[in-house]
Amino acid sequence: MIATSLGPGEGGIARSRIAEVEAAAQPPASVSYRDVTKRYAGQSEPAIRHLSLDVPAGEICVLVGPSGCGKTTAMRMANRTVEITEGDILIGETSVRDRDPAELRREMGYVIQQIGLFPHRTVADNIATVPRLIGWDRDRITARVRELLDLIGLDPSMGGRYPSQLSGGQQQRVGVARALAADPPVMLMDEPFGAIDPIARERLQNEFLRLQAEIHKTVLFVTHDIDEAIKMGDRIAILKQGGVLAQYATPAELLMAPADAFVEDFVGADRALKRLALMRVRDIDLWEAPLAFVGQDTAEVRAKLDGAEVPHALVIDSDRRPLGWLSETDLAQPTVPQRPDSGPEPILDLDDVMRDALSDLLQTETQYAPATDRDGRIAGVLSVEIISEFLVSPEAKVEEHAAAERPLADE
Amino acid sequence: MSSTLADLAPLAQTEIRDRSGDADCVAENGTFCFGWAADNFDRYVEPTLEHLVLVGVSVIAGFLIAFGLALLSHRRRWLIPPFITATGILYTVPSIAFFILLLPFTGRGTVTGIIALTAYALQIIYRNMVTGLNNVPVEAKDAGRGMGMTDSQLFWRVELPLSVPEIVAGLRIATVSTVAIASLAFLAGAGGLGTEIFNQIDFKTNVLIAGGLCVVMAIALDFALLLLQRLAAPWRTGRVST
Repeated sequence: MIATSLGPGEGGIARSRIAEVEAAAQPPASVSYRDVTKRYAGQSEPAIRHLSLDVPAGEICVLVGPSGCGKTTAMRMANRTVEITEGDILIGETSVRDRDPAELRREMGYVIQQIGLFPHRTVADNIATVPRLIGWDRDRITARVRELLDLIGLDPSMGGRYPSQLSGGQQQRVGVARALAADPPVMLMDEPFGAIDPIARERLQNEFLRLQAEIHKTVLFVTHDIDEAIKMGDRIAILKQGGVLAQYATPAELLMAPADAFVEDFVGADRALKRLALMRVRDIDLWEAPLAFVGQDTAEVRAKLDGAEVPHALVIDSDRRPLGWLSETDLAQPTVPQRPDSGPEPILDLDDVMRDALSDLLQTETQYAPATDRDGRIAGVLSVEIISEFLVSPEAKVEEHAAAERPLADE
Repeated sequence: MSSTLADLAPLAQTEIRDRSGDADCVAENGTFCFGWAADNFDRYVEPTLEHLVLVGVSVIAGFLIAFGLALLSHRRRWLIPPFITATGILYTVPSIAFFILLLPFTGRGTVTGIIALTAYALQIIYRNMVTGLNNVPVEAKDAGRGMGMTDSQLFWRVELPLSVPEIVAGLRIATVSTVAIASLAFLAGAGGLGTEIFNQIDFKTNVLIAGGLCVVMAIALDFALLLLQRLAAPWRTGRVST
């Protein structure tokens, strides 16, 4: 829904969107925590200890950890809804401590788990909250509200409804739209999808990721759900009890090389499988199968089979699209047949998520599956063996620096 | 105190019953003499208007003072208990005592009646304001503050509008009870329907008419405020409201 509404050629909406973006777009800003400590009055132990992390502009940083680890506190210090005890947080080059809290907050989108829509205001008025606070004129606000309703896939007529008349998922979308209203360079999201049923949550997560690909905000995202963290985060900061940063890394690094037993435990025993969810077929070294063309002499094909990575020949058409695998019976004939004994299914796409690809392989009980590019042309062959090899020795296949931190012997 | 009691003396039966119209019924002091009522109804117009003014002015004054107290105590929450206690003490003084206690300071008249009635309304209205402001959803306040509302923007744009249903509920209770208590305001020389009731308290028709007017006034004002509540809180329409 979002993807189509963002597309060009939607007449007035598309044009007003471009105009608006030109007028209001603020480049995303980096966020850096500099040795931040938070001590609440009357508590002997700090809630956050010497937290330092840099979130590059335009990335989603997920703060994750068990309850009581201080992740929400850490996020809230960025807009000073919780005051910093020691240390500093920079938005771009500016310290949040040098800013007036109210003004600072108007430049940071704010989404909370309970959504917090104003029940006495219509959807449109809710979305218009920050633009009104910063004094946009009425026409600009009206245009922006319409554009945001479109962006979140709500009919413009919904703007006149009260929040209580919306479903939970719609309310959450309005919450996100309200946070985006003044096009803030930074977004703070505290368990934004936490109170929503799993199916709707999945959809909202995907929608937000699609949206983020368009708007490139710097996002601080709090969750207690490691799977959500892995899915949403460009980077993940895992906090443990007492507000100590256990590890700050990309999801892949985190899964491959947990910094300590706590992270390993928090990430879960199935982290190998989780890694498959992070990868696409194109991210792995595919094998090459001996290729055969319809009408080719089978003797030539048999020659190619000697010592090939894949011990079966794949028949392709003139556009290099897979037609099927040659059986012994096929090879006994003089030329390669148009219709080989076994079909090419499943055919994978290079953009398929690895977890789904593995699932396809297991479901069809096949050892090998051709992977094709966008035009359906053969790009390589994926096998269960490649996947299992990858799971056993990730260091050999993916990202180098994380592997260095965790020697092979540990696996 | 004896002088104040003497002040009350003139309130005793000053009028002779007009026996025109429904003479038999009046002579027997029947349950309700329609003929007499029809002939004498105009004598209740003036006291009814007095009563309405007493109630209106007292409730509005009580509202304004309570609102001021609520503004003061909203961000200084430690003020709430003393305010509740102070208004509570005013509320618990028996109304007759209150009217009489005020006589040496403000004398007999409407002002004395209004001061006492305002003091009663104050507690109910203030309590409901505090409850209303406390019941504003925490997440709405969090969201408002997190989006950059200042304290006063949060109060006027979020907290106060969301408290309107409770505040008006307080006004409704205060109004209805003020209508009732105002019927004693004649003790302070403030007039109202109480004057009529006590003038001929042994004449059933009179008591029924004057008392009935109090009831009708209470119901009408309550209904008007109910309408106001609906208008001021359109987002509640269609939802279960208390």
